[in-house]
This record gives sequence, C-alpha cells and structure tokens, in this order.
Amino acid sequence: MLRMNNISKVYRTESVETHALREFSLSVDEGEFVSVTGPSGSGKTTFLNIAGLLEEFSGGSYELDGEDVPQLNDRERSRVRNEKIGFIFQSFNLIPELDVFDNVDVPLRYRGFNAAERRNRIERVINIVGLSSRLNHLPSQLSGGQQQRVAIARALAGEPRFLLADEPTGNLDSHMASSVMDLLTEINENGTTIIMVTHEPSLAERARRNIHVHDGRISTDDPNLHLATAVTA
Amino acid sequence: MEIGPIFRALMRNKTSYVLIALQIAVTLAIMANAIAIIQERSRLMGRPSGVDENNIFYLTSTGFAEDFDVRSTITEDLDALRNTPGVIDAISTNTVPLQGGGWSSGIRLEPGRDNESTGFAIYFSDEHGINTFGLDLVAGRNFLPTDVYWHDFDTNRWEGAGIITRAGAETLYPDDPDSAVGKTVYINDDDPITIVGLVDKMQAAWNGWSGVERSMLVPHKRTSKSTRYVIRTEPGLRDRLMPEIEEMLATSNRGRIVQGMRTMTETRERSYFMDGSMIKLLIFIVAVLTAITSLGIVGLASFSVTRRRKQIGTRRALGATRVAILRYFMLENFLVSGVGVAGGAILAVGLNIWMVQTFDLARIAWYIIPAAMLTLWVVGQAAVYGPARRASLVPPAVATRAV
Amino acid sequence: MFRYYLKLGLLSIRGNPMLSGLMVAAIAVGIGACMTIVNVDYIMSGNPIPQKSDVLFRVQLDSWSPDEPYDDPDEPPDQVTYLDGTALLKAGKARRQVLSYRSGRVLRPEGEEQMPFDVNSRGTSADFFAMFDVPFKYGSGWDKTADDNVEMVIVLSREINDRVFGGENSVGRTVMLNGDAFRVTGVLEDWTPIPKFYDITNGAFNEVEDVYFPFSVSISIELSGRGNTSCWKPVGVGGWSAFLNSECVWMQYWVELHGDDERAEYLAFLDAYAESQKLLGRFPRPLNNRLNNVMEWMEYREVVEEDVKVLLGLAILFLVVCLLNTIGLLLAKVLRRSADISLRRALGASKNAVFSQYIIEAGVIGLAGGLAGVGMTWLGLRGIEILYGQFDFVSNLVSMDWVMILAAVVLAIFSALGAALYPTWRACRIEPASQLKTI
Repeated sequence: MLRMNNISKVYRTESVETHALREFSLSVDEGEFVSVTGPSGSGKTTFLNIAGLLEEFSGGSYELDGEDVPQLNDRERSRVRNEKIGFIFQSFNLIPELDVFDNVDVPLRYRGFNAAERRNRIERVINIVGLSSRLNHLPSQLSGGQQQRVAIARALAGEPRFLLADEPTGNLDSHMASSVMDLLTEINENGTTIIMVTHEPSLAERARRNIHVHDGRISTDDPNLHLATAVTA
Repeated sequence: MEIGPIFRALMRNKTSYVLIALQIAVTLAIMANAIAIIQERSRLMGRPSGVDENNIFYLTSTGFAEDFDVRSTITEDLDALRNTPGVIDAISTNTVPLQGGGWSSGIRLEPGRDNESTGFAIYFSDEHGINTFGLDLVAGRNFLPTDVYWHDFDTNRWEGAGIITRAGAETLYPDDPDSAVGKTVYINDDDPITIVGLVDKMQAAWNGWSGVERSMLVPHKRTSKSTRYVIRTEPGLRDRLMPEIEEMLATSNRGRIVQGMRTMTETRERSYFMDGSMIKLLIFIVAVLTAITSLGIVGLASFSVTRRRKQIGTRRALGATRVAILRYFMLENFLVSGVGVAGGAILAVGLNIWMVQTFDLARIAWYIIPAAMLTLWVVGQAAVYGPARRASLVPPAVATRAV
Repeated sequence: MFRYYLKLGLLSIRGNPMLSGLMVAAIAVGIGACMTIVNVDYIMSGNPIPQKSDVLFRVQLDSWSPDEPYDDPDEPPDQVTYLDGTALLKAGKARRQVLSYRSGRVLRPEGEEQMPFDVNSRGTSADFFAMFDVPFKYGSGWDKTADDNVEMVIVLSREINDRVFGGENSVGRTVMLNGDAFRVTGVLEDWTPIPKFYDITNGAFNEVEDVYFPFSVSISIELSGRGNTSCWKPVGVGGWSAFLNSECVWMQYWVELHGDDERAEYLAFLDAYAESQKLLGRFPRPLNNRLNNVMEWMEYREVVEEDVKVLLGLAILFLVVCLLNTIGLLLAKVLRRSADISLRRALGASKNAVFSQYIIEAGVIGLAGGLAGVGMTWLGLRGIEILYGQFDFVSNLVSMDWVMILAAVVLAIFSALGAALYPTWRACRIEPASQLKTI
C-alpha cells in the first residue's frame, strides 16, 4: 500500500547541508502495525513528515495507494492527506476553542460530506474511542488521555488508509499511555494500518514490526523481537 | 462551509473580536453621519443663486467730500460703466445674493400691520437690474425707466412696481403663483407695490435663511452716500476689466473712495466657506478613521494568525488546502465585520437621531447606512486578506515540528 | 520596584517596535484629532474678559411687536432703540453704562501722500473704555462732559495710528473723517478680545473698530449704523429724526453691576422703565427684560459655531475608536507574552506585581502617545489654519497654550491607562506556569 524507495531528504542553508534521510526504503502493507524508532535527531520526524505528505523529499520515490506522490501539487496532496492519512500528534493538536464534536469534524468538513454523513461518522468514531458522553466538552475539560482519544477519533473519522502516529503517548502518564496503546492495538486488529514513530522501546514492542532509523538510514527492519537492547542510543 | 464551527470558536474567545466589531461599529456610525452631513452641505452649496456668477463683480463707492452729490455721481457712474467696452450692464444697488448682509422686509397681501407678512430680500434696482444680474424673466415685464424713482428720506414712502422671484410668488399665492403678476402687495405696513414681473430665481444675501429664495427687486434708488455698483461683463473679460473699472471710478471722482471690490465667485466661496471646509474636514476624518480601523484589523489578524500557527499546520495536515485556510480567516473576519456593521448601523441611526435633535442636522438618507455597511465590510475583508494569505502559506509540517 | 517595572516596560516596548509604534501612533492620532477641535472650541468659548466677565451685563428690553416675538420662542431684541438707549443712559442707574453702535467713515489723511480710506468706527458713550478694560498706548478716552458737549474727540486703534501717524504719540492732533475734524485724545494698544463679545452682530471674531468717537457726535452727524437694523414698524415720515424716534433696534447697551443686589436693583429699574413706556403706548409685549453677563450672553448668541460642536462630538468618537484599537493591541501583546507572565507568576510575582508592571508599561506608552499627540495637535491646528486661512481671526484660534498641551498629555495618559485596564486584568488572571505548554 505504501512504498518508499531510496528516499533522501536534504536541508540546505547558506552554510550547511544536512542529510536528514538517506537511501530510505520502506514498504508497508495493509493491516500492518509498524513502529519506527531511533534516537532524537535520527530522522524519524523527517520520515513521518514525508510519509504524511507534510514535507517534500529530495530524492527517491514514494508511492501511496498506487499514486505517485511527488507528481501531486499542493491541492492534491491536501486531498490525499485528508482522505488517506489519519494523523495522531504527540501534543494532540486539538483546537482549543472547539468542542470534541467540532474537533473531530474538522477533516470531515474538508472532505465535503454533508451534515448527516458527518454526524454519523463522528458519533461512530467517538464511540470507538469511548467518549460518547463528552461530545460537548472542550479540550481543556479533558484529561491528556481523553484528548489523545479525541485525536484518534479525529484521525479515524475519514476512514484513512493508515494512521500515522507521532509519539502518541509522549505527553501521557503511564496509565493513560497504556490505555491509548490498547486502543491503537484494537484499531489495528480491526484492520487499520498503523505507522507509529516513537523512541520508547516499550511502545515499539506493541507493534508487530519495527524499523530502526539511525543517522537518516534504516539500520534494522525486523518483525518485532525483543529490542530492549539494540534500540536506544 | 464552516460557519458553525467558526462562530462557536469565536464565541469561546470573544474579546479581540468584540473589540474589532466595536471599532467597526463606531467607525460606521461616524462614517454614515459624516456622509449625511457632507451630502446635506453639498446640496446647500449646489443651489444656484440665480445670477450670472462667472461674469459679475461689484464694488462699493463711499462719498466723503462735503460737496459730494449722490444723484449726479450715481447717474454719471452708471453711464460710464454701461458704456465701458466689455460691460454688458451695471446697476447701483444695496447688495448681491450670498453677500451675507442685506435688506429684508415683510410683504403683506393686505395693508395694515395686523395682517400676516412674509419676509422678502429687497434689492434696489432700476430697469437694468435684470440684465445686470443675468436673471430670467419668466412672466410679466421688466421695469420701465418711468418706474424708477429716487428714495425720499423725509417721506420714506415706497410705491410703484416690484419684481419678485417664483418662490416668492409661490409663498404669497400658493394656489396660483402665476397670477401674482398684476397683483398689489404692501411693504412697510401699507405702501403699495404692484408686481409687474416674475423672475425665475434670485437668492437673498443670507444662505442659511429659510426665505433665501424669496427676493424682490424694486426700481427704487437710494440717496445714501455709499452704494454698491454691480457690473456684468462679457464672458472672459471680468478679470481684465476689474482693475480698469476700479481705477476709472477712483479717478473720475475724488470726493469718494472705491473699495470692497469682489467677484460673485468669491462671494459664493465666502458664503459657503464653513460648509466647504466642514466637508473637507469630514472627508479627512472618515479617511483617517477607516485607515485606523483597517490597520487595527491587520494588526490583530496578524497577531491571531501567528498565535494559531500550530492550529493552521494541523488543519493543513488534516487535509485543508491553502485556499481553505485563506477562506477560514476571510470567513472569520466576515462574521466579525458582519456583527460590527450590524451594530454600527444601529449606532449610526442612534447617533443621527441625537444629532438631528441637538444640532438641527439633516436626517440620514436611507441608502447611506447600507452603503457604508457594505464599504466597511469590504474594507475589513481587504484588510484581513494579507494576514489570511500569510496564514495559508503556513506549511503543514508545522503540525509536527513546532513546539 | 517602580524603576524595575519601568525598565521592563521600556525593554518590552523596544522589543516590539512595530506593535508599540502602532499603539503610540493610534493614541497620538486620536489625541491629535480630539485636541485640535477641543483647542478651537476652548478658544472660541473662552472668556474674553475674565477679570470682569461676571460684572458686565448686556441689556435687553422687549420693545418688539405685539404680533410675534423678535425671535423664537419668546426672545426680546438683542439691541435697543435710540429712545430707550438714551433714556437708560440718562437715568444712569448702573455703576457704569455704555451705549454704542458701529458705523463707517472715510478717513482722509493730511497731505497728498496717502489716499482716503474706509474705517470701521464706533460711536460710544464715555464709559466704554473703562468698562471693557481697553488698554491705551497714549492718552485716554473722554469723559461725560465731552459726551454732553458733543465734543469732536476721537480715539484711534493702534493700527490706524501706525498707518496715519507712523505710530507716534498723536494725542492732540487732528484727524479728518469725511468732512469732520476730530481731535485725538488717545491711542489704543493692540486689543483683540476673542470673541468680540460687546458686539457680536458683525462677526464674533472680527477685529475691533478702527476709531471711536462720542455717541452724541455720531448721532449729531446723522451717522447710520453698519450692523443690523431691525424694525417691526415702518419708520414713518421725517428723515433722521423719524428714524431716531422709531422702534428700530440698532444699538448695544451694556451695564456694569457688582453683586447680586446691584443686579436685582437694575432689573427692577428696567421693569419699571418698561412699565412707564407701556403707559406711553409703547412696549406692547409682556415684560421680558434680560440682563445677561458676558459668558451668558455669548452662550445666548451661540457664539461657538455649531459646526465646531459637531466636530467635537465626532472627534471624541474618533478617540474612542483609537482607544478600542489600543485595547486590542495591548491585549494582543499581553496574550503574546502570556508565557512570560505565567513564568513570572511561577517565580513568585503576585497578581498586583503583574498588574503594576503592565500598567506602568501602558503609562509609558500613554506618555509617548501624549507627547506625539501634542505634535499631532500642532499639525492639526496648522491644517485648520490652512483650511480656514481666509478668515483673519483664525490665527487667534489656532495657538496652543500650556493648558492645552498639558491637557493633551494628561488625556493621553489617562486614555492609555483606561485602555490598559482590561488587558492588564487579563494578564493578572494568567495562572502560574499554565502557559508553558500550549498549542
């Protein structure tokens, strides 16, 4: 479903050239649960942004669902993000002035669904994450874990091809983190592909395949063994 | 589009938006009323005086010598003036329209002080008056040389002919103004004046007077040592003839001084000077005010965009196109401006009511408020476009990278 | 702590030059617009003779027509008839009184070098100069005997004296007006009461007259007025004497009265006089006599142009818009600095401390705005001068005195502080360390 081939990303300033990713190749099939790990500065976030069409890459090819990404203009990339990718951010990125319903609604509006369709979808995904009683709450009235669940609902509402999660439990305590991870596992078991970027080995373990990035390159791409030793650096 | 969520988000963080809406509202109130005042003043200034303004000038001759003879001086002067090449005609009179000072008298339909009188501006004239002022005779006849008489200070009687303006006839005989010709009216309680002609328009000296359109010419020459000569020239010759004629009169008779020479054009300018300046000031105030409100919108919108950078990035990540982001901010401003102009319309009406009562200003014409509302709405959108465009250019990567 | 906050305030202002500049500019423009109009209004409604304005009274007698009042709703004429003026003058019941009217003459300088020219003259009884505190450069006015004896004496204005006699002491010399010779008894200093309260008819802000001579002389040479003459009855047969005996109002009467008692006494006298005239068949209207002091008189005659009042109202609203702008910008600034504020609170600053810091910063901005506003006001007044330059009196209206300058600065500071109240209150409400992680 997702195929990256020899992706490279170079940041150029006046004085310095930084190679954030080099010869990065990755294939993800439907239904997989992949974790991408690596130390800070290793290029995980760059990978995430490129995978999520948030940034452009300097070299290589990226095919998503049969569509060749670099050929797309900004409007088309926005459409692809809207329809095929569900983002989950480390700091939840909920809009503080909107309640839960309206927050989940945001990508659906850009999709162009009518009001009834949107309502259906929102109610369905909020149910999945277990927050039906909080539809009219503001983010400030929710705990960290609940906010992330709303974010997950928002990501699911458009029935994306895959979820792209950036340190989804980074801002949560261990209790909330574990319940969010349970939710993600459940969602994956129901068929949704998940690519998760994290530096926490315990989280990476929950995925079924791990890719370790070091210095912009993939150093290992293994089905999940116990990685407690090799990963952190 | 997303009016619902935008509105709900606005309501949760009202303050800055309320401030902008208030600014817009007050600006609208000021703008609408300023326009009303400007309109009214322009209308006043546009009223024709009825005389040939471009080609008329006048000056005052004041005799001081002991042997100064009023009658012969005036007769000789008018003779000389009328025979000057380039001069169409000239008369000796008291004042001209819009001068600011003049003579007015009550005119009655029946003799006797108990009867109602109507105020008319009085212009002393002779058979050359209509031609000198360039008036339009629309009924009856002009004065004949035999109608003209010199004022007698001792008897103080007025009698004989008179020519009035249409507006004057309409006031005296509202049912049939044209029938005024031939009727007799009374001045000074019971001095009879027979109306021999009607002229279309001739304004009085006071532009703010309710009776400004009611004038009467009388073929009555005053024997005061001081008189005004009104001179009408051929088109284009006025400026050249003015100093020549002044010189001619100053030298032809050393027992008098010639001063206060002025054109009708300047007289009109001076007459409406306060109104013209008021218009300029109001235009300036409205322009500066609009600029300030626009800058306020730009400033606050820019700040708001900066503050919401991460939100913008997130929306982009979730699939918003650049246009969608632009539209969001334009729409947000549209709503705020909408509230602002709606409130402003109410304020404008309220302000106008207060001004009409306190200052006797004109009521605002119905179409001005919607026009001003539309203008400010558009101005608001134009002001927010810059920041909105900046917002649309926020890259999606901000969602993951910015702190 | 004040100095510390001051330092923080200045640093913050310097650190945000655009925003701070915008705030100062908004205040400056608002203050400038407001104070320009206030200045004009202040001068126009200023007291032209503060040391005596409450002891000088304008007399009004209702000698008008039985059919309608002189002016709506029921106002007596603003001038008096010859009959009434002279009668009151003769009775002399007030501490001082003056009867006068404006006219025009032709002044004929001696010799051939200068041409004759028109002058504005005033025929007035002797008390004029003492009553109105008119300053003399040379000599003095005349006394009551000169009035009674119809002496041909004259007082010149400074400009006329400069023009005719080169500015020398011309007391004793002769001036020819039309065919009459006058002996100079005095020359005035520059005298510009603003407004020209004693005779508003010809223009409240016009120059004072060029020459003054006794009232009795003016009447004896049959000099008619150069102002408003209003008659409700025709003059009748008989030339000048008929005019003098008519019901035409054309002269001004002022009295000087000190204290409420004198005023009440004089009003009673006026009423008694009116009653006596009623017995003679005059004064058909009910008793309606007035005594207005200088400021009351000017208000009665609506000396301040309505246009100025309208502009004043608009200018105040203008200031309101500028202040709303300032509130918005200050709020934006506070919200932008919310991380800083919450940090300070976390480090121990109390709500008062935060309040003080931001109020002082606002005060600095207000001060800067006020000073800039003074500059704007000056510009505004120059603009008014250019716009209204045609009228000579305008230069009198567009000068700023220290009162106005101070008023501008104080207004600016108070406005800025007022505008700052809400944003500063919001700043205080920021919880410690709450803003350290936001989206």
